[in-house]
Amino acid sequence: MSAQVLQLAINALAAGCIYAVVALSVEIAYESTGVVNFAAGQLVTAGALIGLSAVAYTKFNFLPAYLLVIVGMSMIGIVFLICVYLPLRRQSVLTIVIGTVGVGIFIQNVMLLTWGPLPKSVRSPMGSGAIKFGDVSVSLHVLYVIGVTALLIIGMYLLLYRSSLGRQFRATAQDPEAATLMGIRVKQLYALNWILVCVLSGIAGLLFAPMWLVDVTSGDNIGLKAFAAIMIGGFGSVPGAILGGIIVGAIEIFGAFYVSSAFKDALVFALMFLFLLVRPQGIFGERAADRA
Amino acid sequence: MLQVEGLSVSYGPVTALDGVSLAVSKGECVALLGSNGAGKTTLLRTISGLVKARLGSVSLDGKAIDGMSPENRVRKGLCHVPERRRIFPGLTVLENLEVATAPWRRFGASIATDLDRVFELFPRLRERRPQYGWSLSGGEQQMLAIGRALMSRPSVLLLDEPSLGLAPLLAEEVYARLSEISAMGVTMLLVEQNTAMALSVASRGYVLEHGHVVLAGASTDLITNPRVREAYLGA
Repeated sequence: MSAQVLQLAINALAAGCIYAVVALSVEIAYESTGVVNFAAGQLVTAGALIGLSAVAYTKFNFLPAYLLVIVGMSMIGIVFLICVYLPLRRQSVLTIVIGTVGVGIFIQNVMLLTWGPLPKSVRSPMGSGAIKFGDVSVSLHVLYVIGVTALLIIGMYLLLYRSSLGRQFRATAQDPEAATLMGIRVKQLYALNWILVCVLSGIAGLLFAPMWLVDVTSGDNIGLKAFAAIMIGGFGSVPGAILGGIIVGAIEIFGAFYVSSAFKDALVFALMFLFLLVRPQGIFGERAADRA
Repeated sequence: MLQVEGLSVSYGPVTALDGVSLAVSKGECVALLGSNGAGKTTLLRTISGLVKARLGSVSLDGKAIDGMSPENRVRKGLCHVPERRRIFPGLTVLENLEVATAPWRRFGASIATDLDRVFELFPRLRERRPQYGWSLSGGEQQMLAIGRALMSRPSVLLLDEPSLGLAPLLAEEVYARLSEISAMGVTMLLVEQNTAMALSVASRGYVLEHGHVVLAGASTDLITNPRVREAYLGA
């Protein structure tokens, strides 16, 4: 493999990681509540912008700044739970989905009022350094994105599939009433769900911001790509969301280089349409019986 | 142990229960009989807290639990095995059993003895441990639903139609296990359409019609009662 292809592949993996994290957050919300979270893109932007201000506030102490972002995103999750999810819980899922669209618009406008419309550049906690492997130069930030994503995926897997909290979480997702009858505190798990969703999106914001400029709309595109990733990987499948994210990253980066950077988004959505036509259940599909 | 007094429940303008009173003493197995729509399921759902009563009161160990959430009622030892089993389809058999220990399990606490108790009652579940809930047969699902309830360490079990949809042999098997559980000292309130089977395990029974208790008595009396024989035993 030539150095150039390798270089592109690493950048594709980093972009794919960001889509994968957002797709994972959408997937977790869908698995546990049946709600498709259309505010994902705006939550990503919120993470990036809160990160920008928090880093400035702590004078470039990234660790406390990032903890502030996690706290902030958790609070958005709790506000979403109390103001949107719990009041609408007895309505049809579609009502809540439309609620998430409204939340997205609300968050975007609050951000516009707070941070203004101008794009901003954001520093990486890894600085602007790069490591050279022969002819391939990889920025530290890209390695950091890949590393953090891997840790997040492992952490989510352990939480959902290897802990008793995860079992309660999945039981509640499959049958909230039966979960209640088994003494599971369903409302607390819904709170955990929306906190996880917001924190994951926020982390995706922190990861992407140093690679591209940030303005109040920059998450929108990431949110849409995450949906494309889920369609390709298969709705209802966590591994599908991750693989889909990486495929979308690869198409985007390789498409921009070999075809045209003007067409990189079109290529992603063309593949998504192709999947919807030919294999609507995506690569991994959904175990329909889970939703009995 | 479990006391229900003057319970009335309505769904909008429809009255489902109208002044129902009953009592189940410690260690007793009591059957709740009646035709479809008599209010049996509603009564169980009200006792477990899923449905709010308009009037009346439910008490456990002499204390009213009316304001308590269903989750907390489980922590007081009241466990409801719902109609149609409602096991978690995407959890394995073992996970279904583990998840029900949430009310009492503290970090690091062992569930081995609880699991053993369930596997001794239902050896089939031990074989099926790694299988997903949805892949079980109806009988196995019912066994899992009962086993799962036992994992919550209940002192009172509410069972809603445990024989529903089961072949007669399997239904008998389930009932044999229920009488073993009863012999362990678990108090039971049993809703059942299969009157003969319910009365074979229960020592007493109540007959519910249109939201009222119309008959109550020992199983031996109910089974010979002409009204019960005509309406529910097809004799």
